[in-house]
Amino acid sequence: MDEMRPFEFMECITILKSTGKRARNIRELRTMIADISDVSLFHHTYQYFLKGHILEYTNDFAHWVGESLEERALSERLSNIDPFAFQDLSSLRQEFLTNIDDYTRHFPEPRDTIPGGEFYFNETVTIIFPIGMWAKNLAEFLLAIRYVDPPCIYYHFYEARLRHGTDDFSAWIESVLGNSELARSIRAIDLFMHNIEGIRTHIVETVENNVRHAMEVIRP
Amino acid sequence: MIREYTGISPKGDLVLLQRLSDKLGGKVFLHVNSTKAGGGVAEILHRMMPILNELGIQTRWEVIEGDGQFFDITKKIHNALQGNREIITKKMWQHHFEVNKKNLETIQLDDVDAALIHDPQPVPLIDFKKSGRWIWRCHIDVSNPMKEVCDHLFRYCGKYDAAIFSVARFAKAMGIDEFIIPPSIDPISEKNIELSDTEIHNTLESFGIPIDRPIVLQVSRFDRFKDPTGVIKAFRIARKYNDCILILAGSPATDDPEGELVLNEVREYASDDPDIHILLLPAFSDRQINALQRAATVVVQKSLKEGFGLTVAEAMWKGKPVIGGAVGGIPLQIVHGVTGFLVHSVEGVAFRVRQFLNNPEMARRMGEKGKDHIRQNFLITRQIRDYLSVWYTLESGGKGTSGLRI
Repeated sequence: MDEMRPFEFMECITILKSTGKRARNIRELRTMIADISDVSLFHHTYQYFLKGHILEYTNDFAHWVGESLEERALSERLSNIDPFAFQDLSSLRQEFLTNIDDYTRHFPEPRDTIPGGEFYFNETVTIIFPIGMWAKNLAEFLLAIRYVDPPCIYYHFYEARLRHGTDDFSAWIESVLGNSELARSIRAIDLFMHNIEGIRTHIVETVENNVRHAMEVIRP
Repeated sequence: MIREYTGISPKGDLVLLQRLSDKLGGKVFLHVNSTKAGGGVAEILHRMMPILNELGIQTRWEVIEGDGQFFDITKKIHNALQGNREIITKKMWQHHFEVNKKNLETIQLDDVDAALIHDPQPVPLIDFKKSGRWIWRCHIDVSNPMKEVCDHLFRYCGKYDAAIFSVARFAKAMGIDEFIIPPSIDPISEKNIELSDTEIHNTLESFGIPIDRPIVLQVSRFDRFKDPTGVIKAFRIARKYNDCILILAGSPATDDPEGELVLNEVREYASDDPDIHILLLPAFSDRQINALQRAATVVVQKSLKEGFGLTVAEAMWKGKPVIGGAVGGIPLQIVHGVTGFLVHSVEGVAFRVRQFLNNPEMARRMGEKGKDHIRQNFLITRQIRDYLSVWYTLESGGKGTSGLRI
């Protein structure tokens, strides 16, 4: 156990930067995905979860294909791509390209979106900073998690997976508090099936259940 | 002053402002635009100055002075950037440049660490840059501009260190860093603070507006791009089914010579309809506008072109159901069917007005979601945070997916 290391809550914000690139149909989308920078690909995939997104989609490409082009079948396939399952951005990029290529083989006539509905490729500058909150135990953690801003939950629950393969919350609960059962329950929350507020609600419920159970146990 | 936002703005925004001011404190931040009164840009600058200064950043706001001809030219440039056909002669461009040059008699540029130059009027000032990072801030919808005008203006813009647009669609390939920063509202300004029912009631009474029926409201300059006559048409359709009244309220802007002309057209179109109230409010009538927005049952922003449409955020902050034209920055504020409705026609406005008037529970639910959306994304603390972040990024050269830690 990593004794006494408090959990430090961090937050990240992003400033959008235009790349000047845009797509009107699936073919242009494919060309651009092959060409855009890693920062842009990162923004349109991983950072999708930072937005108040629609749960049907898991990245900006799927969202645009579904909402603006109304190509539902492709949108479903793109939404099924789990960015956290890839070792690097080039493998993730290839997965998008493979899916689009496969789809356009079957449906070769691309349809343009209406003017104004184009996909705009952006990059971001991300700024990470501590928010001046720490938790030394589960009670403090529970209080903090109720009130931190959504970007804080994004940083620790989503983006953390890129840093060390799992979310920061369960990693701390396991390594510092030694509560493997609670850590497992937090890891079991499906990050694609909830928006950030949904994730918050589930973490709070999971921690509360764990605390309640611990209080009810009669020790010998 | 920054403490007044505690409990209103997201905490992370306030913490980051503090950290950025530790890095940029003591430096000089210059803003230049073309009017102190009227329109969203002047309004937000009025609010931003004291906050930035309190954060320890020496911030000053200069206004470019010009004659009537200058503002006629810049209005043409503005309209052309928004897609209208305008003729701007070489002589006019020269006058635009000369007026900017003359302003150097009063605008000090020697000590600048960062300059934010707002919109096309003061754009040529870049030719007189002496120091610091210069950023062009474009507040208008340039997604479909007149090419010749755009090309001419962008010869200046390309000399800046970076540009900021409100919406990604407006950005142009200028060969410099182009950031996307939406504007914002100030939750503790006169225009947005909570008001008592008595004050709201008294304001309506002072304008002779009855409170016996639902109110449909549009607040905006009297400008053709805001489509005030389209709002009247939509109101007349909706009124056939639901008894209601319409208020069109706006203030004049000193940099908009067309305002009076459009106002007269609107008055003529409304004729003497007793259910249509056209209010030309003096500049800084913020408290009255606040009261009107709080009194409204439904708020409309039926723009045909829009830089951003801050009146939408203002209404959403007050928990009102909103209907907006799907242009400019309005779709960023209105998530269709969640925080309001986006529309594309007069008939669309009429239909959605009727829908809200007949479904108060839905209107309340959307209003509530809208307020939270504004809190997270469109408050002034977020905009100041973003401006300082861009400045800091230009100083520190932040790139890559791992992020800048401060």
